[in-house]
Amino acid sequence: MSVATGTTAMRQTGVRSKPLPLLPFIELVMLAALVATPFVLASRPELITLMTNVLILSLLALSFDLCWGFSGIMSYGQALFFGVAGYVVALVGRDLDFSQMWGTLPLAMLIGALLAAALAAFLLLGRKTPTSIFVAFGTLTGAYAAERLVAGWQYVGAGNGLSSIKLMALGSYEFVEGFEFYSVALAALVIFYLLSRMIARSQLGLVLAGMRQNEERLAFFGYRVQVFKALIFTFSGAIAGLSGALYSYHQGFTGPTNLGPGLSTTAVIYCLFGGSGTLIGPVIGTIAIELLSYVLADTDAIRQFWPVILGVVLLVVVMFQPTGLLGLVVSARERIGSFGARRRAG
Amino acid sequence: MDFAIKFVFDIAAFTSVMVLIVLGLGVIASMMGIFNFAHGELVLLGAYTVYLCDEHGMGAWTGVILAPFVVGAVGFVLERTIIRRFYATPIIAMLGTYAIGLIIREIVRGLLGGHYKAIPEPISGAFAIGGMEFSIWRSFIIATTLAVIAGCYLLLSRTSIGLRVRGALENPMLARACGISTGRLYALTFAFGAALAGLAGALIVPLYALSADIGIRFLVQAFLSVMLGGVGTFEGPVLGAAAVGGMAAGLPWVVIPVLADPLVFVIALAIVRLRPQGFITVGRL
Repeated sequence: MSVATGTTAMRQTGVRSKPLPLLPFIELVMLAALVATPFVLASRPELITLMTNVLILSLLALSFDLCWGFSGIMSYGQALFFGVAGYVVALVGRDLDFSQMWGTLPLAMLIGALLAAALAAFLLLGRKTPTSIFVAFGTLTGAYAAERLVAGWQYVGAGNGLSSIKLMALGSYEFVEGFEFYSVALAALVIFYLLSRMIARSQLGLVLAGMRQNEERLAFFGYRVQVFKALIFTFSGAIAGLSGALYSYHQGFTGPTNLGPGLSTTAVIYCLFGGSGTLIGPVIGTIAIELLSYVLADTDAIRQFWPVILGVVLLVVVMFQPTGLLGLVVSARERIGSFGARRRAG
Repeated sequence: MDFAIKFVFDIAAFTSVMVLIVLGLGVIASMMGIFNFAHGELVLLGAYTVYLCDEHGMGAWTGVILAPFVVGAVGFVLERTIIRRFYATPIIAMLGTYAIGLIIREIVRGLLGGHYKAIPEPISGAFAIGGMEFSIWRSFIIATTLAVIAGCYLLLSRTSIGLRVRGALENPMLARACGISTGRLYALTFAFGAALAGLAGALIVPLYALSADIGIRFLVQAFLSVMLGGVGTFEGPVLGAAAVGGMAAGLPWVVIPVLADPLVFVIALAIVRLRPQGFITVGRL
């Protein structure tokens, strides 16, 4: 009897000595900061506009993280879903004179999801298992071909893109840049962040974590790994679509570059800089890079060489710090996460 | 008939440039399994060398001859310092080389000041056969490409370096066990691929005005060509480049140009999906 109690006590100390989880703490701090931002910046409307942009781009970075950090697809195609959804809401506003957010935002997500599903079906599913290199090139080619197509297509404004997009509306209220739009963007980010987090921590997430460790082994267990990849890819397409629609509404403009590999790669940089495979990493990365860009853009000499700085950042990250900013503070064990109910000693 | 010959000549000239670019890309992809996203910028550096020589009164000719060596040296340094870290992770290598490309491209853009610079053709003019005029410079491009292909083939199949390269390609572990320094071979291969890109850049700069984006426009097509032809072969990428180049030049005659451009990519991608091993599967080097 006394021996039994002894073991229990030992196990409990074992549980207690586990380091406090950092990620949820970081997530809460970020949430609090983002909620407080518009109140702190109330006197600087241009900064609220900037932050709204950052939130919308965070969604794009989040969608890339789902692809790369969670299912190992190097997707250069996130901008494709982003851009096409942006064009669709712009066209719906122009030709159908409709911009109610309860209609257009789900439509944008549907478009993103369908496009991603179609691309995934073509690239991933099928009798021959594709190499990850081929998948990366497939998404790159898709985005590149779409950019070229749109840049030459008169109906969608060709190289000039579509400008003065009809404002996003809810009933008779129209959203312009500012506090209200910020709230919408923040709400969208929080909802899809939580949804992604739920998926990453679910049994599906466990399969994904297994795939990251050893894809072949999971395949031998009988999991159809390509189907899981396609599912996550489709979900990420929906998020990218939502992000693209919000971006179009917020900027009032969309152009061919919003479809192309250039923007996709920017999303890659956001995500890797913050730390991929953590969900909060891409958000931190987007905020850090965009704010840095805003601060540095004041100097003419630096603004011209901003892409060079981005390139150096990407190079340094992939060479020396592949886990990104978060990798500096969060342990590998926590990034991978734990699954299922923790077994209590008894 | 005249028109048809002219058309074939133009396609041949365009395809030659593609082949030069793709050959360098294909050699690197076959040997090290790395798809070099900075390849377009190596082309740009070749073009920029010609511009610098022209600007400093050394004549464009000097530039054309210098370009492969300069860019080859740049490639060698890049491989020794950066690229070699990525051999184990080809996907990360894409990002790494993309970053290198971005840095080079934007620095050159800054140096050019955002302007387009026209470079005169080192040998201008045209010659006539049977009443038809052919541009001398384009003919020179075609001839150079044929010479480079023949040279590469002889180098790979007839020399001891070629034997070592083929050995390292076939089985790197065994090659290392036999005392072949694969590390040095990889560095040389990368430098060689870079030199080909530099040569391509030097040859095309009189046709297209020099701008920072001169190389990147070929990049996606070149990647598809390599995959289309088959990674790990010598003839594959050349054939792939010919196929993609021919499609890019020929499709606008069949469908409206707006659709033709993206269609090339879609068709090429679909073929690669259905036949991932590429055109050439027998007689791998």
